[in-house]
Amino acid sequence: MVRFENVGMRYGMGPEVLRDISFHLRPGSFHFLTGPTGAGKSSLLKLLALSHRPSRGLVTLFKREVSSLERDDLPGFRRKIGVVYQDFRLLDHLSALDNVALPLKIAGAKNEQIYQHVAELLEWVGLGNQVDAKPPTLSGGEKQRVAIARAIINRPQLLIADEPTGSMDAEMGLRLMHLFLELNKIGTTVVVATHDLDMIERFGNPVMYLKDGLLSSKAPNTSTETSDETDA
Amino acid sequence: MIQLFGKSAELQLEKDVSSRYLPIVISAMVFLAALSISGMFSLSDAISNWSSTLSENLTVEIAYDPSANLDQKVTDAVELLAATPGVSAVRAIETEETLKLLEPFLGKSSIIAELPIPRLIEVIIEDDSAIDLLALNEKLAAAVPGAKLDTHRPWLDKMTLLGRTIQLLAAGVMVLVGTVTVIIVIFAVRTGLIMHSEVIEVLHLIGAKDGYIAEQFQNYYSRLTFLGALPGLAVAIIIMIIFNFLVGSLEASMLPSLALGWKGLSALILLPVLVTLLTKYTVRHVVLKNLSQMM
Repeated sequence: MVRFENVGMRYGMGPEVLRDISFHLRPGSFHFLTGPTGAGKSSLLKLLALSHRPSRGLVTLFKREVSSLERDDLPGFRRKIGVVYQDFRLLDHLSALDNVALPLKIAGAKNEQIYQHVAELLEWVGLGNQVDAKPPTLSGGEKQRVAIARAIINRPQLLIADEPTGSMDAEMGLRLMHLFLELNKIGTTVVVATHDLDMIERFGNPVMYLKDGLLSSKAPNTSTETSDETDA
Repeated sequence: MIQLFGKSAELQLEKDVSSRYLPIVISAMVFLAALSISGMFSLSDAISNWSSTLSENLTVEIAYDPSANLDQKVTDAVELLAATPGVSAVRAIETEETLKLLEPFLGKSSIIAELPIPRLIEVIIEDDSAIDLLALNEKLAAAVPGAKLDTHRPWLDKMTLLGRTIQLLAAGVMVLVGTVTVIIVIFAVRTGLIMHSEVIEVLHLIGAKDGYIAEQFQNYYSRLTFLGALPGLAVAIIIMIIFNFLVGSLEASMLPSLALGWKGLSALILLPVLVTLLTKYTVRHVVLKNLSQMM
């Protein structure tokens, strides 16, 4: 599903923010990504989301090496990836329904199919009565759920979430994590970046720990180690 | 109109301040282009008219000679011309008629009649006649001493040269207007791309192709261009009507009115469409080129 081999990344001519990152994520696995602020978590997620290219090394997604992808290949690959951003990145002028419908619309789905699926999904994430609300009128937790619904509407093979529970209370955070687990059960590979070590401890999934741009297999203060799925 | 060009649903380009005045600029450009087109086509028609009228009409001038019988010379010249193949009509212009032609310049006076005025003969040649005017002139001069065939060619050549020069200038204005329009659109689109870079990134990351984003830009800018082009064309047409009215009231027969003909009218009607297409493909090219530099 995802393979990183000696991957390095830098922004422009700056220093490397990721160094010699190597790991392999099997299809249907669930991983946490953690580490102190500035360790390179967001940069790693950018590589996974095909938002940036590595400066060196090989990144293989869905059996294709990223550097070999033509520009025309990227949209098709990105449609297999759902991303939940820390800052949601919703379009403020669109309703919750239209925000969630966007990936389907872009993929060229028919309107009847789009709105039936979107309404069902919003109901599933507990926003059935907020379909017409625009993001500025929603709470942080509600925005987060809209962002999650948008990320999974296309049934992505890989779901990436950057601090998905950062803007909500513990109970809502827990509910969202169970939502991710549900998606993982139906075959979606999930990578969740978080600072919340308690949550990592509670769920016991494999952890990728980043510090100073380097990846290690065990997070401090947790007993969770990387499973054989993650060859870090 | 919005349905015709589609809406930029995700990018909300309609709310951009940077492109709000684009229709006014496009309007001014289309106004100038419409005037250039009308100038080009009107002059083209005028040149053809001058050319065909003056090519068919010749004048024979018999120099004044107090010792010669001018009436006899006129009769001889008319007979010779009438017998020439390719000449469809020959008419001797009476002295009184010649004097009348001079009245606007010399005034009404009996002294004019005493001036040494040459005698004139109007000659009309057949359409597409292959008549050799140089040979005819030599033949005429030999048969009737003092007779000279005036083909108006030097005057016509100068007028044609002037007309063609003005046409070239009008074409130059058209090229300039087109270039300026393209440059303005490029700057407006680049500003739009910068202003909406965050939304564009989100659209890319959820799987939007470059063409999907470019379509929103090209639809929006095409709409602005078309809406700006219509008033520009309307004002230009009003100006042309006023100009034609003034030309008509001056009775200045040599000054051509803005008669476009069907080709000119078609060009004018197509102008907003052509400018819109120019904008559409410029925008598409600029957006796709800029997006290709993103991941």
